[in-house]
Amino acid sequence: MALLELSGLTKRFGAFTALDDISLLIERGEVHCLLGENGAGKSTLCNLVFGVHRPDGGTMTLAGEPFDPRGPAEALQRGVVMVHQHFSLVPNMSVAENLMLGRASAVLKPQDIIVRMEQLAAEYGLEIAPEARIDELSVGERQRVEIIKCLLGDPQLLVLDEPTAVLQPDEIDALLAICRQVALRGKSVILVTHKLGEISRVADRTTVLRQGRIIETVGMEGADIRSLVRSMVGRDVQSAGSVLAAAVDIEGKTPAKPTNAAGPVSPGEAVLQISDLVYRDPHGVPRLDGLSLTVGTGEIVGIAGVEGNGQTELGLILAGLAAPSAGAIVVGGTSVAACTPQEITDAGVGIVPEDRHAVACIKELSVAENLFLGAIGKFSRFGLLDKSARRKAAQTMMRDFDVRASSPDVSMASLSGGNQQKAVLARELSLDPLVFLLAAQPTRGLDLGAIEAVYNRIRAARDDGLGVLLISSELEELMAVSDRIAVIYRGKLVGELAAGAFSREAIGAMMSGHAHV
Amino acid sequence: MIDEQMAVFIGSGLRLAVPIIFAATGEMLSERAGVLNLSLDGMMLMSAFTAALASWATGSPLIGVAAGVLVAMAVAAVQAVLSVTLRANQLVVGIGFNILALGSTTFLYREIFGPLSRDPIPGFAQLNLPWLAHIPVIGPALANQTGLAYVSIVMVVVTWLILKYTSFGLAVRAVGEDPRAADKAGISVAKTRYLGVLYAGILAGFGGAFMSVADSNTFTENMTKGAGYLAITAVIFGGWNPWYTLAACLLFGFATALQFLVPALQLDVPVALLLLLPYLLALVAIAGFVGKSRQPSALTIPFERGG
Repeated sequence: MALLELSGLTKRFGAFTALDDISLLIERGEVHCLLGENGAGKSTLCNLVFGVHRPDGGTMTLAGEPFDPRGPAEALQRGVVMVHQHFSLVPNMSVAENLMLGRASAVLKPQDIIVRMEQLAAEYGLEIAPEARIDELSVGERQRVEIIKCLLGDPQLLVLDEPTAVLQPDEIDALLAICRQVALRGKSVILVTHKLGEISRVADRTTVLRQGRIIETVGMEGADIRSLVRSMVGRDVQSAGSVLAAAVDIEGKTPAKPTNAAGPVSPGEAVLQISDLVYRDPHGVPRLDGLSLTVGTGEIVGIAGVEGNGQTELGLILAGLAAPSAGAIVVGGTSVAACTPQEITDAGVGIVPEDRHAVACIKELSVAENLFLGAIGKFSRFGLLDKSARRKAAQTMMRDFDVRASSPDVSMASLSGGNQQKAVLARELSLDPLVFLLAAQPTRGLDLGAIEAVYNRIRAARDDGLGVLLISSELEELMAVSDRIAVIYRGKLVGELAAGAFSREAIGAMMSGHAHV
Repeated sequence: MIDEQMAVFIGSGLRLAVPIIFAATGEMLSERAGVLNLSLDGMMLMSAFTAALASWATGSPLIGVAAGVLVAMAVAAVQAVLSVTLRANQLVVGIGFNILALGSTTFLYREIFGPLSRDPIPGFAQLNLPWLAHIPVIGPALANQTGLAYVSIVMVVVTWLILKYTSFGLAVRAVGEDPRAADKAGISVAKTRYLGVLYAGILAGFGGAFMSVADSNTFTENMTKGAGYLAITAVIFGGWNPWYTLAACLLFGFATALQFLVPALQLDVPVALLLLLPYLLALVAIAGFVGKSRQPSALTIPFERGG
């Protein structure tokens, strides 16, 4: 008998149908992968199983009994646990306190938790200091805490929502091994991912979701990776370009150089020069520790690194959203260290920030307003806003950059993530003067079609002679787009590889601080 | 002579600090759970009035305190419904309550007590604990307090124990810091916050009742004089830590008591300036400390479950 049975599950958010008539069996002791693009409904499905959302139609059965959790508490009671895409740990509490949360008796008994942690460490090799504070842990360690939290209560079903997105290569290996361990003990695992490389290493069966529907469920023995990709994106991946192959991480298929066949202009003079950049956060913790980097005209330099090694801070400083503690940043002869965003823009720097929603656009304003946020004065006549001129200019920009919206007057919030990002790119690449572009995590949360468009834009900017700095946590993305990859580790660049010499292993080793070039 | 005046000063400082200690201790726990009760002053005022009324009507100050606490709890319950369930702006709700409390207690006081305002209201006697009285200088001040004053210190200890050693306390801290994480750990964010607000209501009720039936044995219009606001300030000043909050409350109490000490010492300082002192101190405390102590991340932010 299957452990979990979903039949006819449907979930709508307003007019949008996120899941449409999903029927699926999860067997005991299997690792079942959910594969699909962003927005395919994978996370929604997990959230229904874990009781975060409630279905609008359909039923669930767990171990033969009806299962309709009204909240995570109920799901936990029935032995369903989940590791979320965004960690759900309280940052200023210790590991032990987080583990006691929601499951302890009236009076806290830290000793019991520590004993249980030792058992899990012995059983799965999940080791972590109980008294460590969460905000002092690395991303990989935090995830280990999440998994320990899940396994404490000896669950029946472990749900992992895109757990590998934030991990470095050796941590991914460890995580996949734990999944197998859990399954070996007769528990079931649902693993959400959009990376095929992982599926072929860990899955017993895989279900492909697209636009809220199940396309197919296949056993992994003798499964054809190509056909899985086709099910996932709805078209043949080879015709869609190698970018897609890179984005879904098909093993051995990541091309090192051919994607750049359009041909970079050989890098010219330095457009961005960073020397000995130091940044201490408000708590005095050094986040950047003497980082030096040069980006020339007509080149894309990628920054690889596990999240939390200073790349976010580097992006903030370049955007003028944080002031460096020491060091120099020069763009085209102008010093822009500790300048205001306006001064940085005037120096010819375009910024695609990491946090699109918080920094790059104002969701409540219209697309046209967002496109000309920094240039409001451009469309004023006698001090009054000339809306029709701005509307026209916005329409031209939307056409040039393929921003799909019914009109320039609709709110930014009504656009898909991909179109929002295209609008941000349109704005930043239309700046005048423009000599340098910073793109921080530019494809995060986008679907494959939009990812491809973003890559093409970045390449086109490079071909026009711009210097581009690409900060990304996706190794495949960096390898597909960059002319050169520098690896950041603990606030310093620890190595660099030129196109043609890219290798996952070498970059991965440098990312984890194991090797220097 | 000086000794005697110091004893009076310390005694009145402690006495004036008690209502703030009650209110601030409860408020601290509520804020740790993420709900700011700006209505604290209103809860205290309503409780002070109700306690006076019930004590006067029944002749029992104990019944007075019970009635005052119940009314403050009722206000807290409404505050919780508005700010937790209906996700209303906590600050606006609080201001509304304070205006309502001031208006309604003033009106009812004039209606009910108007002609009888000189009637004595039965209150608590001071305990006079001989074993405390022997301590030099502070002994008499510590010994000559009403029972409720000692209860306020006990509540600080209890609150500290709750936060540090119970799973409810852990839930409170988690809910105020990262409600999403707490929710996913299977904790009811709403229930925890309701309990936090009710806890603040109960203690604010004690604080208010203390003013009318233990301290002054009377009710006067707007008798809290912003004690609830001082309590909220004390929580910030105390960095959301029970002991530092207690210290802040004592500081405010003694600052208020200076208005008795300074004239007795025949120093030439305008009394009006002394009356202003605690509020001035509160302002300085907020300006100087608000940036340094880290408030609970989810303070005043309503929780809504999502992806």
